[in-house]
Amino acid sequence: MLVHQETQGLFLVLYQVQYRLKMINLSVRDTEQEKDLRIAWQYKKYFGEHQQNFEYQRNGKPEYCNDFDLRKPLERHFLSGQCIDCISLQDSPNLATLNDRCSTFLAQLPRCDGNVMCAGRIAIQSFCAPQCEYSNMDWNMLSFIRSLKGMIRSSNAVAILTFPPSVVSSSFSKRLQHLADTLLSVRAIPDEDKELAKLLTGYQDMVGLLNLHKVARINTQVPVILEATTFSIKLLKRRSLVLECLNQAPVDASSGTSYATSGSCSGSSKTGTLDF
Amino acid sequence: MAESICRALRDGALDGEHAPALTIKDSIDSPFGPDVFNHILTQVSANILAGKSQSRGLVLVAFSRSPSFYHNLLKSRGHDVSSSHNWLRVLDCYTDPLGWKDRLIERGSITNLSPETSVTVNLCKDVRNLDNLFSSILELGKGLVGQRKNRFSVAIDSVTEMLRHASISAVASLLSNLRSHDQVSCEFWLLHSDLHEIRATAVLEYMSSMLATIEPMTRPPTNGQIGNSENLSLLDQNSKRGKLHVRFKRRNGRVRLMCEEFCVEQSGIKFTSISSEDGLITQSLVPKVQFNLQLSEKERVDRAKVVLPFEHQGNGKSIQIYDGRRSLDESTTEIKSVSAEKLQTNEDSGKGEIIYYRDSDDEMPDSDEDPDDDLDI
Amino acid sequence: MDRSSNLLDEALGLDDYQTKSSSVASGRVVLIEDCVETSGAFVLHHLIKRSLTPHSSGIVIFVAFAQPFSHYDRVLRKMGCNLVVQRDNKRFLFFDMLTLECPDGDGGKTNEGGLLELYGKIHEAVEICALSEDNRNCITIMIDDISLMEVAANGSSNHVLDFLHYCYTLTTQFGCLLVSLNHEDIYSSMEGPTLILQMEYLADIMIKAEPLATGLATDVHGQLTILNQGISDGLGNSRNKLRNFHFKVKENSVDYFYPGTRG
Repeated sequence: MLVHQETQGLFLVLYQVQYRLKMINLSVRDTEQEKDLRIAWQYKKYFGEHQQNFEYQRNGKPEYCNDFDLRKPLERHFLSGQCIDCISLQDSPNLATLNDRCSTFLAQLPRCDGNVMCAGRIAIQSFCAPQCEYSNMDWNMLSFIRSLKGMIRSSNAVAILTFPPSVVSSSFSKRLQHLADTLLSVRAIPDEDKELAKLLTGYQDMVGLLNLHKVARINTQVPVILEATTFSIKLLKRRSLVLECLNQAPVDASSGTSYATSGSCSGSSKTGTLDF
Repeated sequence: MAESICRALRDGALDGEHAPALTIKDSIDSPFGPDVFNHILTQVSANILAGKSQSRGLVLVAFSRSPSFYHNLLKSRGHDVSSSHNWLRVLDCYTDPLGWKDRLIERGSITNLSPETSVTVNLCKDVRNLDNLFSSILELGKGLVGQRKNRFSVAIDSVTEMLRHASISAVASLLSNLRSHDQVSCEFWLLHSDLHEIRATAVLEYMSSMLATIEPMTRPPTNGQIGNSENLSLLDQNSKRGKLHVRFKRRNGRVRLMCEEFCVEQSGIKFTSISSEDGLITQSLVPKVQFNLQLSEKERVDRAKVVLPFEHQGNGKSIQIYDGRRSLDESTTEIKSVSAEKLQTNEDSGKGEIIYYRDSDDEMPDSDEDPDDDLDI
Repeated sequence: MDRSSNLLDEALGLDDYQTKSSSVASGRVVLIEDCVETSGAFVLHHLIKRSLTPHSSGIVIFVAFAQPFSHYDRVLRKMGCNLVVQRDNKRFLFFDMLTLECPDGDGGKTNEGGLLELYGKIHEAVEICALSEDNRNCITIMIDDISLMEVAANGSSNHVLDFLHYCYTLTTQFGCLLVSLNHEDIYSSMEGPTLILQMEYLADIMIKAEPLATGLATDVHGQLTILNQGISDGLGNSRNKLRNFHFKVKENSVDYFYPGTRG
């Protein structure tokens, strides 16, 4: 799932340890020697002995897509001509290196009025993962995110970050949530749950739930009140990722009526609580 | 009772004794500590000015409000601040507690523009150094009252601020040294209890002879939104009124507990007495043991029926209670020592008997009565 | 020129247009508390606009940790206030703290130093503004937001409190209004004394933005609770008044209304 290039900001995705969305993925191996590096949906295939160089570009125009098959490797031509940088977080004692790398990357994409030809994306997976040395340095992590946010604001880029709130303090989690412009959370669906199967249509295809907590409000003070904030994550025909709206639309508080949509979801439509 | 506190502060210390020390303690649910502090401050000032108190002057250590605030406060309460240099010194720990402004002035970034006030102010630029703070307080006090036997009072408007910059033991040491100084008449300070660890509050309570705790009329629940109607009405109720619980450590070692209600108005704070809560206080004092120390009504009646061994039993004479008016001669002729087991009913037997007169009606256990109070020396 | 008053202005004591200054009574400290679900930033925007009305000579010193100038500019523009012009006229002083260098946790000195510098800049700006008689008592210092200042200070909340205390002294010395925003839900799960509790003690006026108990709604974005504690200065200010009402945020203004009164 790629990001619309006009939005800028910091996405924050919370996820539960048992389940991860294979979306944008950063390699865990540092491949600094390679000039043309890879980002891949199934990264294992592209590192180690499978590294290759490609200069292919179709019709000279970069192509974007939001339709992908999670089971297949990404077509090579989508990777060509792209500048992709991969950094391992596991071995760094602190975040200074990451900060510098992001800084260099973003320096190539300064903000300018007019047509945006090229948008940058920074994706960080499992930011507070306990196996990383810096993971117990709360303030360092917050400083880095704040610094990243500042850099992003002044460049044509967007950053998406995932972190497990269960391994950090509630207070730290809240701080990160406030730092985010857009805030999402994902939850797993229990397996073989007959009750849920009765309650949710298409339960068989569901792999998780996605909650939308906050949407970026840059240059405006008006909050976004969405019709739906809970989505089911479905894998249709074992190939396509689909997000389907689940909960009821927000109530019109003054008149007292409510808008009902099809499909109900028990207990998960309460915005603001993060069930983990 | 606020009055009793002010009296105790006014009377001050006896020779060789620690000066009375008052802790005013509040919390965010009832943040009226500053109001109570200001009230006490005004009363103490009034007593000093009227010459009624032991202390001749007041050293005010200002952490959380500016000296000009106190200048205005005293003025609004009718005190003559123009003559305050005779009896008041303010140690200003508010304007530049860490010397930041000093450093900026040196660099030329800012200029010094302290507001003018007719109150004599000494600026403290490093509140972390408690030794210096202590010496400054003493110096100011001695400067006010002279070197001899004259005493001065010390007021600290926020020990909470002081504790942000120094450890609890250093602060306790300063307060204790002030208390034991023979020129200090009394001390009082304000503390926000929920901004400290429990131990810090306990230490300060230990150091004081009087503890005034400010509590809300009704305690709000700790969780839940502030915006729901129940919480709002509670907040509203608590927004002007509250309760003041005072604990006095008396010289005789006993502790007196009192409670008052207060209401904060524009002109200050007003205290009103509360319907007696002494019963509640007494019950909480009685140690919780496995034995039931209280008597039910039936038990009380049954006990009244029990005849004590030496009292007269049904021979026509009513049980007499000694009321202290019979002469000693009359009573002694009737009392002869005799064996405790046998009670002779035959008055004419000529044998010895014990005639027992109770000196008063049944006394409740643990009564507040201090037998020494009856002494008329 | 928007002369209409609303519930928020009333609660803050801004509805009396007879007074010379259109800012909240001088020397006050205002704390805005919000949470992830309901942002309180609109209160800041409202106060900026109020302080920069053409028929007053108020100055706003804005310390921004959360958003860049462009964001506030665009928001206020829709509300009818041009921050670029105000900045050029020296009525809106913007301190961009977004990219304030974060020291790598090497000790207290650096943190204190950074905040001392910031305080120095603010004090200097206030002094310059206060030189002109018109501007006295109309200076507003705004901080957006305190939790990010904590991050910039590497978690040293004591230094942040020292900084706030010094800004507080500016309110007494120059009659400024100090407005700061902090996120209440960050501290609500913490045990013991918290930074926000200290700020609550310091504040004369507390404005709390919360979601409705009933959850999300399209025409009511949340509720505001305003506690005006005042200080015992013996003056007849609106003391210890508690108000609660709902709000809906729009691009050019915010509607405030009591629950159930919305037509």
